Amino acid sequence: MTKLLRLAGLAVILVVSLLFAVFVGDQGPWYFAWVIGTVMIILISGAGAIMLDAQSSLSSDGEI
Amino acid sequence: MEFINPDVVDLSRFQFALTALYHFMFVPLTLGLTFMLAAMETVYVVTGRQIYRDMAQFWGKLFGINFAIGVATGITMEFEFGTNWSMYSHFFGDMFGTPLAIEGLMAFFMESTFVGLMFFGWDRLSKQAHLAITYLVALGSNLSALWILIANAGMNMPEGAHFDPETMRMQFESFVDLVFNPDAQAKFVHTSVAGYVSAAMFVMGISAFYLLRGQHRQFAARSFRMAALFGIISTVAVITLGDVLGRLDYEKQPTKIAAIEGLWHTSNPPFEPWIVAALPDDAKQENRYEIGVRLVLTPLITHTFDQPITGMHELEEEAGPRIRSGIDAVAALRRYGVTHSSMDLAQFTAHEQDMGYGLLATRHAPGQDITAIPADQIDDVVRATQPDILPNVFVTFWSFRLMVFLSLWFFALFAISAYLSLKRRLERSRLLLKLCMWSIPLPILATEFGWITAEAGRQPWTVFGWLPTFLSASSHGVSYMVFSLIGFVLLYSVFIAAELYLMFKFARLGPEHDSMEPHAPAASRASAFDMRPMAS
Repeated sequence: MTKLLRLAGLAVILVVSLLFAVFVGDQGPWYFAWVIGTVMIILISGAGAIMLDAQSSLSSDGEI
Repeated sequence: MEFINPDVVDLSRFQFALTALYHFMFVPLTLGLTFMLAAMETVYVVTGRQIYRDMAQFWGKLFGINFAIGVATGITMEFEFGTNWSMYSHFFGDMFGTPLAIEGLMAFFMESTFVGLMFFGWDRLSKQAHLAITYLVALGSNLSALWILIANAGMNMPEGAHFDPETMRMQFESFVDLVFNPDAQAKFVHTSVAGYVSAAMFVMGISAFYLLRGQHRQFAARSFRMAALFGIISTVAVITLGDVLGRLDYEKQPTKIAAIEGLWHTSNPPFEPWIVAALPDDAKQENRYEIGVRLVLTPLITHTFDQPITGMHELEEEAGPRIRSGIDAVAALRRYGVTHSSMDLAQFTAHEQDMGYGLLATRHAPGQDITAIPADQIDDVVRATQPDILPNVFVTFWSFRLMVFLSLWFFALFAISAYLSLKRRLERSRLLLKLCMWSIPLPILATEFGWITAEAGRQPWTVFGWLPTFLSASSHGVSYMVFSLIGFVLLYSVFIAAELYLMFKFARLGPEHDSMEPHAPAASRASAFDMRPMAS
């Protein structure tokens, strides 16, 4: 039941995101670009930190 | 009777510029740091590693200092519209008030409410709930900026409004046009992402300080890497989005783009040089000591190789008929106010689009009364008004260039920093770390220059093409303006001093919790200006 609810929640987010993308992407392309761009910046920045964790665990030279 | 006191107008402009520039020292950091906190906390929630919670809490503390003082400096400006710019508020209040009210009700309250939860909710909320709160703080602070920039875009490219001769003001027409104004879109994204650059440099610079001191190394390395990657993408985005704004100015605000480029005569595509440096002389209407790069300007501004860019002399010439038509519009409007006859209304409607240019001629009319211009002197008034359509070229030209040169510096610094961080060679590059530290204030300076470019370039209008700045101010006395100006300077200087003191203090103290170096010595004993490695 919990999984089903979670799936339904994700489906709702997906639909809202698609509607948002269609409307804002059409009316305000730069607002849409801001949303997508900000998410991308956060993800790449976070991935860089996780990569540093991996680099540190694979190496013992202590360099940063 | 003359009703425009140029001293009061200049003092009102100076006061607003000063308070806005002070306020804008805090804003970019708030816009960007919230999303950096969200990124750090996201990694904490995904990996469960304590170090990222330490990072979010430490940088969150510095954000809190900036937020508290930044909010205080912003509130006064909203009152200034009423106190110092009452004519503007009457004329454009319908359009301007709406986004400001939404900013206050929605974004500002949303941001303030969730900031409290973000600071005090660490041990009271689940990880996921706290992360959602942090994202809402970030969204709230950026939505605040959005509504302010929607209001500002209305001044630069008024859309979604029409002038009503009955009420003598711009009437709100379309909320959709207001919100999706192309200038608002481009300006919001450009400004918001400029805030990301400021925050990334802030985090990178302070992290560089710890690395130079050999303290909180793991904490600083992770903060540095996240900031470098955050910064390099943001810098590329901010440059690209600046190009979008430039293109819009080319289409809608030709005087601004001509002033930005120091272009006195219409360009000769495709060979017209992009002027890298020059000394524009506003009085003589020419540039001195020009250094330019050929073949760059036309594709840069028009995105083509064959479209010309109209120069300032030609724009002055083109304004002549509009000023003449505007004088007819103002005269017809004045008559309509008395007679309410359909003939006067029809005459006004025929010249309505040029009304602002007619108002611009007020300063040169006898007794500042447009209707009192004798028929044989209209040509003289038009000729005297023509140069008034141009902004201050020296200020617009150089503020733009300083912003551009600084953004190129950020691009280089973030690119090298990201590369060395990814290669794990940061600590060997002490010069780079020092440059990062000393570059902390530069993005904030660049955003200030950007704001000066946008707003100085909008002159001589408060509402572009509709309401001249000199007709927008309140009718205060000079002594009132001087007294309040001194008050603002003193008060805001105290705010800046408090911000700098607290920022230096807490940045030197370093993270309260550092799970990877729990016994790291406090950085506070060392001076931020002393770069010698600490004895171990």
